[in-house]
Amino acid sequence: MFFLMLRQSFFRGRRRKALATLTIVLSASLITALMNVSIDVGDKMAREMKSYGANINMVPKSEAIPLEIGGVDYNPLKDRVFINESDLPKIKEIFWHNNIAGFAPFLKTTVEIAGNAKKRINLIGTNFDRQIPIAGDDEFRTGVKVVFPYWQVKGEWPGDEEPAGILAGAALARDLGLKPGDRLTVKGAGDTGREESFVVKGILTTGGAEESALVAPLAVVQRLAGMEGKVQSVSVSALTVPEDKLSRKARQSNDSLDSMEYDRWYCTAYVSSITHQIEEAIPNVTARPIWQVAAGEGAVVNKIQLLMIVVTIAAFIASGLGISSLMATTIMERSREIGLMKALGAADWEVYLLFLSESAFVGVIGGLLGCLAGAGLSQIIGLSIFGSYVSFSPIVVPVNVAVSVLIALSGSLMPSRLITKLYPAEVLHGRR
Amino acid sequence: MAKIVLETKVLTKRYGSVTPLDSIDMQVKGGEWVAIMGPSGSGKTTMLNLLSLLDSPTEGEYILDGVGTATLTEKERVAVRREKIGLVFQQFHLVSYLTALENVMLAQYYHSMVDKGDAMEALERVGLEHRTDHLPSQLSGGEQQRVCIARALINQPAIIMADEPTGNLDEANEEVVLELFKELHREGRTIIMVTHNPELAEFADRVVRLHHGKVVKDA
Repeated sequence: MFFLMLRQSFFRGRRRKALATLTIVLSASLITALMNVSIDVGDKMAREMKSYGANINMVPKSEAIPLEIGGVDYNPLKDRVFINESDLPKIKEIFWHNNIAGFAPFLKTTVEIAGNAKKRINLIGTNFDRQIPIAGDDEFRTGVKVVFPYWQVKGEWPGDEEPAGILAGAALARDLGLKPGDRLTVKGAGDTGREESFVVKGILTTGGAEESALVAPLAVVQRLAGMEGKVQSVSVSALTVPEDKLSRKARQSNDSLDSMEYDRWYCTAYVSSITHQIEEAIPNVTARPIWQVAAGEGAVVNKIQLLMIVVTIAAFIASGLGISSLMATTIMERSREIGLMKALGAADWEVYLLFLSESAFVGVIGGLLGCLAGAGLSQIIGLSIFGSYVSFSPIVVPVNVAVSVLIALSGSLMPSRLITKLYPAEVLHGRR
Repeated sequence: MAKIVLETKVLTKRYGSVTPLDSIDMQVKGGEWVAIMGPSGSGKTTMLNLLSLLDSPTEGEYILDGVGTATLTEKERVAVRREKIGLVFQQFHLVSYLTALENVMLAQYYHSMVDKGDAMEALERVGLEHRTDHLPSQLSGGEQQRVCIARALINQPAIIMADEPTGNLDEANEEVVLELFKELHREGRTIIMVTHNPELAEFADRVVRLHHGKVVKDA
């Protein structure tokens, strides 16, 4: 009989339940959307944050201290330790290889402008946008265009396989009066230096030291410096999760972690665990997080997630209050029914049970419909903010239904106390 | 000689300075049909609320089937009402989303166990076997009142307490309901009925007249 009453109350009193269900649907859809976005926001934001550049810098383990005067490196390359270019694909073979968004190798040498022996400048070799042979990923293209998306070129980017193409830093171009299309001959530093002729394809603005240098394809600079197959450093852009207590502990020393902590740390995409795995994959290199970027990413993602939680709690409270007021109205509307039940011998708890069960049912239906609506809403949020779809997490469904039932019950709890205050004699006869 | 099933001694109800029911002494024997009459505000409904244990007196004593009700807890009062009293209301008070049959079964549910066959029989008895699956909104006033009577009878109570049972009915339906009460009386049930209708009161064994909360005539 109880379930019959519940069913009939719900289906024959559809209009009455529709408003309560709608309230739950609205809040559940908001909560679903926020949860979906919250779960995915780390990844989305990490990708967004990649526009701030690399977050890991890789150098040889025994890199000599550079001797730079006026931004020009006077330390001869022949005395220095290098990374083998052939080792670089190993970066994409670590445990968190899918989180490696890109990397850009660098080899810097000093050259003279032909006909102006006193003008020494840096020539930086790198990959602009080059396909790297990676096992299982034929399409992996990387270079400074991927790692430093904020680099701007007036003119056009040279091709990696184009030996004569070069970028001139904006400050240098101003200094030498260079513009796209100009020809330029440079000579390797020292008496035996080779000469190379280039065409300036574009003027580069980075906001960094590259603006006072020439940037050429890596192979060209390797040949000019006589360092075929060698690079000095690699900037790596990795998708990471924000730092927490465990990663901070690991930062002090890996040895301080017990085996379970170590496994958890290793299997979480912290910037420190990714650098550790790079060092494991490529011997004799040191991979260091660029903390300004890594910590900044973590702080922003944490704050966005906190904001999401606050908005979710606000939605929870708002819909709870909505349900509470609807429930109070319903109890007043159905006071005669409650009075009759009591007159027929129902105990207060039996009436409570009926009303709270109705609320829980409204919560389940509202929660499920809210999941559907929220899934759509999260895609709208994803497309409008991140320009891509937000992945739907199945865990959201049971969590959201449970939260919806909780909202419906907590919203009903206070008003349902009115049930005990209703006397059959008052409500059935309209007076005492 | 019939046993006294209901007895009040100086039964009084006060709300602040207002006393709608003042020192009522009354006895009702088993199988007796008592009509309570009086003008509006005379205390008829207050008296019925006290007798049906829907309300508690301010003073006095009420003994129902040999049991003093003054010391009963709310739970015990509910249990006594459930076992001994069938209620019929002027406004019918049927649950709007339950069919006629389900409304009768509701009283079974809060009493003991639901039995669809018994509920069907109760509706047959009031001549509604063809309207069992109809919602209250699909029934006429007379039919709704008959459902209300079937619900009052389903748990076989010894006492029927009715508040203006024909107050909202037309003449034809009034006649049908009156016949049902006559039949219940013949079966030996005790009936306490509040009414304004002198024709209905004619069939009662006794008429208790109230005025300003006091019994002015009991004959």
